[in-house]
Amino acid sequence: MTRRVVPLALLLCLTFSLQDFAQTDPGVRGGAPGAGQPLASVAANNPANILNFFNAGKDDFQEIDSVSGTVAGEEGSGLGPRYNSRSCVACHAQPAVGGTAPAVNPEIADATADGARNTIPSFITVNGPVREARFPFFFTNGVPDVNRPNGGVEDLYTITGRIDAGSCTISQPSFATAVATNNVIFRIPTPTFGSGLIENIEESTLLANAAANLNNNFGVTGTFNREGNTGTITRFGWKAQNKSLEIFAGEAYLVEMGVANELFTQERPLPGEGMNQGLPAACKINPTPEDITHFDGVSEGVMSDTVAFAMFMRLLAPPTPSTTTPGGATSIANGRNLFSAVGCATCHTPTIRTTASKFTPSLSNANANLFSDLEIHHMGTELADNVSQGGAGGDEFRTAPLWGAGQRIFFLHDGRTRNLRNAILAHNSPGSEANTSSFIFFNNLSAAQQQDVLNFLRSL
Amino acid sequence: MFRREFLQPVFLCLSLFLIGSRNVAAQTPPEQALPNGGDFAPMPAGKLPTGVILVKGAEPSASDRATPLPEEGRVARNVYQNRYLGLTYPLPPDWMEAVQGPPPSDRGGYVLAQLIPAATFKRPTKGTVLISAQDMFFVHAPAGNALEMIKFSKEHLQPYYEVERSPTEVTIAGHSFARFDYVSHVAQLHWYVLATQIRCHTIQFVFTGQDVEMLESLIGDMNRMTLPAEAGATSGRGGGDSPVCVQNYALAKNIEYRTDPIFDVRRFNPVPVRIVIDKKGAVRHVHVISAFSDQATKITEALLQWKFKPYVQDGKAVEVETGIMFGSRDGITAIPSSTSLD
Repeated sequence: MTRRVVPLALLLCLTFSLQDFAQTDPGVRGGAPGAGQPLASVAANNPANILNFFNAGKDDFQEIDSVSGTVAGEEGSGLGPRYNSRSCVACHAQPAVGGTAPAVNPEIADATADGARNTIPSFITVNGPVREARFPFFFTNGVPDVNRPNGGVEDLYTITGRIDAGSCTISQPSFATAVATNNVIFRIPTPTFGSGLIENIEESTLLANAAANLNNNFGVTGTFNREGNTGTITRFGWKAQNKSLEIFAGEAYLVEMGVANELFTQERPLPGEGMNQGLPAACKINPTPEDITHFDGVSEGVMSDTVAFAMFMRLLAPPTPSTTTPGGATSIANGRNLFSAVGCATCHTPTIRTTASKFTPSLSNANANLFSDLEIHHMGTELADNVSQGGAGGDEFRTAPLWGAGQRIFFLHDGRTRNLRNAILAHNSPGSEANTSSFIFFNNLSAAQQQDVLNFLRSL
Repeated sequence: MFRREFLQPVFLCLSLFLIGSRNVAAQTPPEQALPNGGDFAPMPAGKLPTGVILVKGAEPSASDRATPLPEEGRVARNVYQNRYLGLTYPLPPDWMEAVQGPPPSDRGGYVLAQLIPAATFKRPTKGTVLISAQDMFFVHAPAGNALEMIKFSKEHLQPYYEVERSPTEVTIAGHSFARFDYVSHVAQLHWYVLATQIRCHTIQFVFTGQDVEMLESLIGDMNRMTLPAEAGATSGRGGGDSPVCVQNYALAKNIEYRTDPIFDVRRFNPVPVRIVIDKKGAVRHVHVISAFSDQATKITEALLQWKFKPYVQDGKAVEVETGIMFGSRDGITAIPSSTSLD
């Protein structure tokens, strides 16, 4: 039995055709980056030596990896044999180190760096977002097989041809076919500012917030993604699939850069490749794990890259919002109130309190102004990517934290838009929990009120 | 035999996809034969459908196709009809159904319908109508009926709203409803909430807009509704043509035989389930409100074997409907209400 509904395009046409489109996304907020600095207590070096750990982590985060670690200017080692980019900062760059996709896509240069011979997929463009690609389904006899869900990352590039790749010769995935058959989805990097605060929110606090938010008249429910062994709430990544920053870093190091590490200890083949012969021996060039604890180091020099990345992200301060830009203080304040009134704050919880932290005082009992409940919600057919991660189904996503939205270039999980208004519009489709709020935003608010909300979001 | 939402469209799209393969533009050919594995595919190929959720998370299912389900309400010929609830609601003139809501939640929440003004709508300001339901067996609030639910909402109203009308019982279409109004001054928006209870579900009509005259008119239109005799702000416990609904009937003292589902996959999601027990104590219907398919299969198979003591009301055995929560409650514990559902 199917439900009779108005086709989406017609519906949107009918619904919004009479709207005043004067309201516009003010665009990326200019001025100095409101992010990228260490937490206040870290900057004050409390506890002693923590600032050195932050700086060491930041250095590692910016290091470019090669396969061997012997290429000039690319002292990190372990790249590939499959990868999306060659450093953390390449993708986490906007508006500062630790952020998200920058204006110029580094994946263009990554394709041929150091002699690599990769074809740049059609969805990677110089001014487009940094993207990782996933095939929702495996191919069987050349067609996507809906009975064989995949969903794993298909790395864009291989090290084949690089000056330090030896005789490794492997192919890129079939991106052109995947595009032609709609069997590819994309993810852009999530910004990491303030993530130590997110990591330090007690589960009981999240559950209490979820319970309080159930008392809404917008049709919003939500649930938490949970870790498969411990059953505890997971909270990082587009589907809240990762438990901790260290897991987040370790997985990204392996998946995005191909560096086997102490959390993910073997080189990673593609999902289908891994179910067959795996990677050729000639492509497993380095001893594994490639990133390990530095036994000869002292203090922060002991950290593996993975731990250093996690420490850097953990100690990064949250973005600092503007109180006046864009649109002025009155508009921003009004927009903030409207944002709550029309139901956006039901999922995009403005503030959640952290618990006591052993790391540093700034993480302890602090207000995390993240604008997220860290729950996963059904977002409907428009945003569905047909990838399941943990308990999140094909259309479920973590409520994206909005802190720092003012200085982000690309929005939504696949970076499909630079326009905040379009991002809000994409919340509205069959099966979405955000439909009612979205309808109220577009139907019931005046153009001036909508503009205030957009100004508020760009102030964050 | 399980019923799955949206399954038929998926099969249709898949069939079209398998039939309708076509040539596509060529990518630079690889230097070697394609290796094995699903990451590599030759061309040509067909297309996956767009706008279809093919990979589901937790979703509803049922043990049979004949028994109506709460989430199956539909708008047809401008009338919202819900066979499970025994409810018909003619849409107000110049209003239309928007889009489907999400699947039922793991706390027993339903978005039944969302209405927006149609192209023929003439008023200067618009509005929104949300029709939702909350299964009172799994409610998060300490509420035993619709009136208590609305009172809870009022007591926990966010600070950026102001109460315009405290929860009050009103009569709509010959049945009692709890009405609660509040306003956001900054948005100049009013929310008029009307709730009643049917089969132990609180049914809410939420009218949102700036134009209070329009909102009152929408409430007036509700008088064209038809509801079952049991419907009421403090009643709504089934009976008549429906089973009697009794919370916590699946207790050891009422169960003569049970077998527990044995799961293949360890999961941590709450799984709310409604069952209908016939007059002899056999489970005749299982509605898994939210579960992964593997969970739903195991739970349904097990529950269909359960045997209960027949439920007796006024000296006669009657069909009874009750709820069981499998898995985690996600840390949200319902507080006993002042009015017990049983």
